[in-house]
Amino acid sequence: MYGTQSKRDLALEFQSQIPILRPSIHARRANLTVKFQDLYGFTVEGNVDDVNVLNEVREKVRQQGRVWWALEASKGANWYLQPSISEGQSLKASLKLSAMANAITLKRLIRKGIPPVLRPKVWFSLSGAAKKKSTVPESYYNDLSKAVEGKVTPATRQIDHDLPRTFPGHPWLDTPEGHAALRRVLVGYSFRDSDVGYCQGLNYVAALLLLVMKTEEDAFWMLAVLLENVLVNDCYTTNLSGCHVEQRVFKDLLAKKMASHLEALDFDVSLVATEWFLCLFSKSLPSETTLRVWDVLFYEGAKVLFHVALAIFMMKEEQLLLTHHVGDVINIVQRTSHHLFDPDELLTVAFDKIGSMTTNTISKQRKKQEPAVMAELDQRFRRLNSIKVDDK
Amino acid sequence: MATTGNKNINAKLVLLGDVGAGKSSLVLRFVKGQFIEFQESTIGAAFFSQTLAVNDATVKFEIWDTAGQERYHSLAPMYYRGAAAAIIVYDITNQASFERAKKWVQELQAQGNPNMVMALAGNKADLPDARKVAAEEAQAYAQENGLFFMETSAKTAANVNDVFYEIAKRLPRVQPAQNPSGMVLMDRPAERVASASCCS
Repeated sequence: MYGTQSKRDLALEFQSQIPILRPSIHARRANLTVKFQDLYGFTVEGNVDDVNVLNEVREKVRQQGRVWWALEASKGANWYLQPSISEGQSLKASLKLSAMANAITLKRLIRKGIPPVLRPKVWFSLSGAAKKKSTVPESYYNDLSKAVEGKVTPATRQIDHDLPRTFPGHPWLDTPEGHAALRRVLVGYSFRDSDVGYCQGLNYVAALLLLVMKTEEDAFWMLAVLLENVLVNDCYTTNLSGCHVEQRVFKDLLAKKMASHLEALDFDVSLVATEWFLCLFSKSLPSETTLRVWDVLFYEGAKVLFHVALAIFMMKEEQLLLTHHVGDVINIVQRTSHHLFDPDELLTVAFDKIGSMTTNTISKQRKKQEPAVMAELDQRFRRLNSIKVDDK
Repeated sequence: MATTGNKNINAKLVLLGDVGAGKSSLVLRFVKGQFIEFQESTIGAAFFSQTLAVNDATVKFEIWDTAGQERYHSLAPMYYRGAAAAIIVYDITNQASFERAKKWVQELQAQGNPNMVMALAGNKADLPDARKVAAEEAQAYAQENGLFFMETSAKTAANVNDVFYEIAKRLPRVQPAQNPSGMVLMDRPAERVASASCCS
């Protein structure tokens, strides 16, 4: 089942050996749009400045790696694999001063980025995926994959339809091996949780998890912990009610900052933010920037999505306040997100300029919005049903 | 809603239809003149704009291309609210997609803007051998329901621009007085100041 691994590793190794890109002087002068591959093999289009930013990001990733190695040398290997205190661990453990100090260091460190080579290990442990996996027999994933092989359901049909439409053109994902691995993860999950089954959007999330994690099985467990523990319930279920709730919470948060102008334009933030929350930015931000968001997401929880979404708007606040058309707002926001090649630029705004939000405040907001969302969905459902009855 | 000003019309247009019917491909063909066999699946919705000149006016379409999977339909009202036009897309090789299209028509008739210009597009017309929905059937349905109908192919470009052109022609030319914040003043600094302060 994992015969595909070596080939993908090769592909990624190959990526890391790509020499620093040096755009020609002609390209600089003409401000040409150039195509290049980023750290994870995605083809990106950008101008010369974007290429330069990406080169700086590569260098920063290397530096950050050295910081992690140095800490490993002083604190011992795997020091960071202890569970986070904020996740309600036993009081005894959290009272230990060294543990607390480590947790503070770790939080800061993770916001600055986990080095790509350490990501699989760190994500797997800190997200709770390792724990989740440890509660079932060792052969769970293989057994599941075998048991569902050849079964056809609405979910599998939709998955098959989407495989070639998930990051088409990617050097590993868009190959027969890539499709097969993605299929096993998504189909497996669709049987694990039949309420979710398969929701479009998960294909992008799972694809990126496959690129990062060392094995397909670990990618599966990351997807499971994400949907079952990290994100809010019902984000991906039949009427996306959880997603509707998140959008309303986000709308309120943004309204406190700047949305009165946007509302006056008849701009609904969920026009752009739905994709952000359902694909966890994987379709909207450059890959390393997305993964930096996920670094923090897996450690600090779903509130991170609000931080980042708000930050994208805040970064362009002045420009947005000058717009007069919904279309202009959307164009600015989309152009901004697609060009956020420097993760630190985004995360600095997201965590230093937004102000603190606790998981608790967000939960309260969700509770407040839930009844309205349910009522709205129910109303629509009834209206549509009444149309059908009239029709007969 | 379509807004007019010096025969410049701004029109919000929404594409609705079953998953894989070719909504995104139609938009890509219309906006960029391209066709890609495997188009990334749309999540939530994607936004595009394209301007089209018809005899007496310039129409700027603001196009919302929506996601097709059933569970995304709960998001649809956000996209068709205030739309001046809709293209309901089905796949001529897939009967279920035609049934889904009819449901969209019903929903728009019940919920949408009553003056909305609606088009029914039978896409993938380049695959006549696999046809499951007769053009006559769709034509009759469209006529009964006050839509105009065309069979299209995003792949060969057949009828794609025509659908948008036909919509542009049918959009109402005279509108009741709109918000005075027309596009004409868009770039004037004075206007910017006014709108920035009114909302702070």
